Amino acid sequence: MRLTQSIAPALLLLAAGVAQAASGWGFDDGSVQIAAKKAGEAVKEKISQTSPLSKPVSLGTTDTLKLSLTAKDNGKGKRPHQAFLVLQEPESGLEAPFPLTVKENGKAVAQISHKDLPVQLLLANKPLKASVVIASFGSAQGLNTPVFDVKIETDANVPPPAYEKPLRYGKQPEIHHIFRPDPKSPPKVISLFFGLAVIATLPALLIGWVALGGNVNHLSKAIGAALLSHATFFGSILAMEFVFFMYYTSWNLFQVLPVIAAVGAATVFSGTKALGEVQSRRLAGER
Amino acid sequence: MRSLFSFLAFLSAAVVSALSTSGNRLLVVLEDVAEKENYSKFLGDLEGRGFELSFENPKSESLALFHLGERTYDHIIFFPTKAKGLGPNLTPNILVDFMNAKGNVLVTLSSGVATPNSLVSLLSELDIQLPADRTGLVVDHFNYDASTAAETHDVLLLPPPGPVRPDVKNFFGAGAGKDEVLAFPRGVGAALGSSELLTPVLRAPRTAYSYNPKEQAEVVDDLFGAGEQLALVSAFQARNSARFTLVGSAEMLQDKWFDAEASKVGGKKAAKTFNREFAKRVSGWTFNEIGVLRVNWIEHHLDEAVAVNESNPSIYRIKNDVKYTISLSEYAWTSWAPLTLPADDVLQLEFSMLSPFHRLPLHLDAAHSSATESAYSTSFKLPDQHGIFNFKVNYKRPFLSNIEEKNTVSVRHMAHDEWPRSFVISGAWPWIAGIGVTVAGWLAFCALWMYSAPVGGKRVESKKTQ
Repeated sequence: MRLTQSIAPALLLLAAGVAQAASGWGFDDGSVQIAAKKAGEAVKEKISQTSPLSKPVSLGTTDTLKLSLTAKDNGKGKRPHQAFLVLQEPESGLEAPFPLTVKENGKAVAQISHKDLPVQLLLANKPLKASVVIASFGSAQGLNTPVFDVKIETDANVPPPAYEKPLRYGKQPEIHHIFRPDPKSPPKVISLFFGLAVIATLPALLIGWVALGGNVNHLSKAIGAALLSHATFFGSILAMEFVFFMYYTSWNLFQVLPVIAAVGAATVFSGTKALGEVQSRRLAGER
Repeated sequence: MRSLFSFLAFLSAAVVSALSTSGNRLLVVLEDVAEKENYSKFLGDLEGRGFELSFENPKSESLALFHLGERTYDHIIFFPTKAKGLGPNLTPNILVDFMNAKGNVLVTLSSGVATPNSLVSLLSELDIQLPADRTGLVVDHFNYDASTAAETHDVLLLPPPGPVRPDVKNFFGAGAGKDEVLAFPRGVGAALGSSELLTPVLRAPRTAYSYNPKEQAEVVDDLFGAGEQLALVSAFQARNSARFTLVGSAEMLQDKWFDAEASKVGGKKAAKTFNREFAKRVSGWTFNEIGVLRVNWIEHHLDEAVAVNESNPSIYRIKNDVKYTISLSEYAWTSWAPLTLPADDVLQLEFSMLSPFHRLPLHLDAAHSSATESAYSTSFKLPDQHGIFNFKVNYKRPFLSNIEEKNTVSVRHMAHDEWPRSFVISGAWPWIAGIGVTVAGWLAFCALWMYSAPVGGKRVESKKTQ
């Protein structure tokens, strides 16, 4: 895979070179030099228009890349109108052109450091592709050829330049609301067990009362003394519980209130008589 | 006879006014009326599409874009003028007011003629930069017309433009023949700012560059722009959908480049130019003949099994299932057609209170679509948050007029009788049992207290009284 990748451009270049051999622009004495600002050795590599450098050159934050070449028209040194070094970010295809300073005899130089590069290129993950474009007016064919790759080295101590993507109208990410979880109940077995345990206290209470001697033996006596009052009084207590039950299941407050008033009045009026009878039994020492 | 004539005139006026969605009064700003002849095909095409052309000199005193606060023209074309300024009736302020009043503007430049100050200020207002000396020339030594510019290379031959992005419809280059080329003779390239309202229609080829022919004839020392950063034709659509187009070369609209033949350098065959169709599309887009969207209707309703069959209610409850449908049409030259989205694009509905809670794609609803409209709908559950919410469709795309539709509804919380009953909740069973036991125990206690007879005979009263 790698082999074909490296062969394909070489073949293309070969073909291009053959085509250009007829008449057209080209360059000679090409070199790219990386000079560090601090004292250090400058790395210098020769470049040619027929095959790009196999290894990318790396450009540090304080380094300067210097490209120099001699532009030639049909083998003669000459000044072209267009002599650019074009750096391309391979992922987005974004390009930045740098015009070369050309002399009459075709000698051309360009110097690039980090501050000349647009921020998108500084943040590139892959090495930038550098190509040389030499062309001018007239019939001579122009040259547009890749020459080398530049790897942008970033300094770990310096924060990377801030870059905010410009706003573009387009579709936006989908948003789905995250609902709050539904309220949960404990397992039904546990609810059932404790529900039954609560119900079981009622028989226990009644059995306890009976064991202590509780009874309803005076019922006939009470009914005999004041039948209507006792029936109404106890009935109204039952009715009140029924009203509460209806309120729980279906009635609303405004249906409940008049009924409670009626039942309550019945309780009060019948209660005086019925409880008076209970008192008379107490006074008679029968309780 | 006279009535018949006026009837015909009325009929043609009715047909004519139907063609652009925003009126047909077109102002053509020309310095020299003789220049008109060079653009006769382009202007004839515009007239054929129903525009009423008025020609004015920029310095003319009778020229006024507004009368009593109303626009007097719907659209303006500027052809290159030699004058440095455009006179007091076409100041950048008035032009911006014109666009604020939804007027559309098409500006053409030419490299031979310096751009008037008024237009340069208007362009910089729109974040479009022109070369410094108000003139520049785009050349490309690799893609030029060998028959007319073999030496100067200033007639660029470009393939018709493709879509700007995969999710944007290709209005300008679609349907062009494979060997058709677009000629861009002696034009000015512009650099576009990063505004989202600006879109390049036609970019320069990778090897093209712009230079100043007067000062940089020998060597390009200070480069204004090169390659695809140069926009040859660019479009701007304001937030109110007013449109502005900058055509870098007025010459490409001239008769000699309409249906002409050009020969690409190195190419063997002469290629036909695409300029006439391109000019039609660019002017048609600018003057609201294509890419105009219309909302026909919006409907939302409760989408539940026991739903009340009411359309667009003003109140919903949290967690209701709701269906939203919007019907849209797109204007295409002479009639409204259903809006079809590009493959990668979606129409999105936001359900938002301050910020969106839901942002969902709307899908084509074939049952409610017809030959002139297409309906898009989606069903979803309202969030579990009460408040004032908006159904919002915010569809802004390059080259399409903006759609921002907001329908406000209240979302109320659960009423007290809409919760599940306590006997349905298993966790409440012990508590319900407790209430039942208390009631039964109370009744039993009442009976016992009133009717219980003492056990073991009479109590010993003396002990208590002591």
